[in-house]
Amino acid sequence: MSRQTARAGDPRKVNGELFTLTYGALVAQLLRDYEDDEEVNKQLEKMGYNIGVRLIEDFLARSNTSRCNDFRETSDIISRLGFKMYLGITPVISNWSPAGDEFSLLIENNPLSDFVELPEGHTALNYSNILCGVLKGALEMVQMDVDVWFVQDQLKGDNITEIRLKFIKRLDDAVPAGED
Amino acid sequence: MTIFDFYIFDRNGTCLCYAEWNRKKQSGISKDEEYKLMYGMLFSIKSFVNRISPTDIKDGFLNFKTSKYMLHFYETPSGLKLIMNTDLGAGSMRDVLHQIYSTIYVEYVVKNPLCELDKPILSELFKSKLDEFIRSLPVFASKVS
Amino acid sequence: MAIYSVYIINKAGGLIYQYDHFTNRPEVEKTFSFPFEIVLKVFDEKVVVAFGERDGIKVGHTVLAINGKPVEGRYLQDGRDIMEFLASPENFPLDVKFGRPKLTTNEKIMLASMFHSLFAIGSQLSPDLRSSGIEVLETDTFKLHCHQTMTGVKFIVIADPKQAHIDVLLKKLYEVYTDFALKNPFYSLDMPIRCDLFDSNLQGAIEQSEKLGISNI
Repeated sequence: MSRQTARAGDPRKVNGELFTLTYGALVAQLLRDYEDDEEVNKQLEKMGYNIGVRLIEDFLARSNTSRCNDFRETSDIISRLGFKMYLGITPVISNWSPAGDEFSLLIENNPLSDFVELPEGHTALNYSNILCGVLKGALEMVQMDVDVWFVQDQLKGDNITEIRLKFIKRLDDAVPAGED
Repeated sequence: MTIFDFYIFDRNGTCLCYAEWNRKKQSGISKDEEYKLMYGMLFSIKSFVNRISPTDIKDGFLNFKTSKYMLHFYETPSGLKLIMNTDLGAGSMRDVLHQIYSTIYVEYVVKNPLCELDKPILSELFKSKLDEFIRSLPVFASKVS
Repeated sequence: MAIYSVYIINKAGGLIYQYDHFTNRPEVEKTFSFPFEIVLKVFDEKVVVAFGERDGIKVGHTVLAINGKPVEGRYLQDGRDIMEFLASPENFPLDVKFGRPKLTTNEKIMLASMFHSLFAIGSQLSPDLRSSGIEVLETDTFKLHCHQTMTGVKFIVIADPKQAHIDVLLKKLYEVYTDFALKNPFYSLDMPIRCDLFDSNLQGAIEQSEKLGISNI
């Protein structure tokens, strides 16, 4: 496959800054269009979701991992393989809930928010909310229903950026359709 | 050795793709019925295997053989199912199915924003890449006449 | 390397004989404190691990016992619902034993008739002419071998994927069936087989086959 071999040392690799700037322009435009932080959060999550359901296939094809049977395994793969592969960072996993169904991803240097200074009056905006959508979409495709949300954000003056994931339930395979 | 046909099902049971090469017998029912029957059979085999297995299952169902053909099954963690029917001479096709998934389905369907993921694949590019790939396989080698 | 079990199915899909030869069902017992870390679900009137593998407890295992007392389906012996029991902090800490459950007779009958139809569908969906139904079904943990006689009786052997010479064993089982079931004047056709001679000869054939399989590796 010509496209496959090209990927190893892909000469068309997109410059990281261009990516960051593109994302910034997108969020800024959404803010102008919707004029409401909550609504922008929602739109970002939706976009992320649509990316996630596709990205997971690319991830599975490249990493050849098998299905997770434990949330700890999932957290490890998200951080060590997923984030590493697509954003070049490895978030720290911490703050496990006692029941082992919730954890946080701690991000030190979020590539999406390089160059960003949030303007006044956008306290409700989760600038990188697209990540929540991506995680939700991707995990849903591997039969995991999760909630994903921002807890802290360095853009808002917090020490660290923290994304929290909560396992809700395991989704089952679709039963074959009956006669219509 | 030869390859008879090939199916892709998404996790909702929709047949995304069907292609045939040297198929010698049709099932005698409409294609839609056939897809339903195929998906139903795989679904039942999976559940059957899970229950009857004496030990803990990891990959589960891999393939079955009859007197005339061999059905190879590969399921991704995202629930996409790839099925290939070959004659009995073919060995394990697991790697081939994984290759179709990673170098053809992901590249030409998932990364094509115009392809809806839960509808039958209309992309001609995908179909021609698949055909080219299958024909290039050593197992495809023209039937002994 | 082992032969796990044998099923014989009559031409109508009814299970007429079943024998478990070798079972090595893993069981794990662990002490838990609240909150309970493993996600469970009720499936087939049993409490099954849905998610959260650790310490040998696998997805698909069922709850076999709590605090040393075997459970009855999804209930404790005193009738309390297990899911509710595990949701209340005052019941902790507790010991739970997990494992793959033994199949009940009803489940075996169901699986037999399920295979009977899968066999038929496998033949109908054949891309080639005049195909039989499923003869060998391979998974990562076992291989199922099926031999259907001209009269429609199916002999099924479930064995380790690496076990060789199962075809010889299937032929041998057919012989044992004709010799000790069919030729027995008190055996009625298509009915469950309950003959001691049949049992012992079948077991003998299996043991012999296991030895043969090993000596040929």
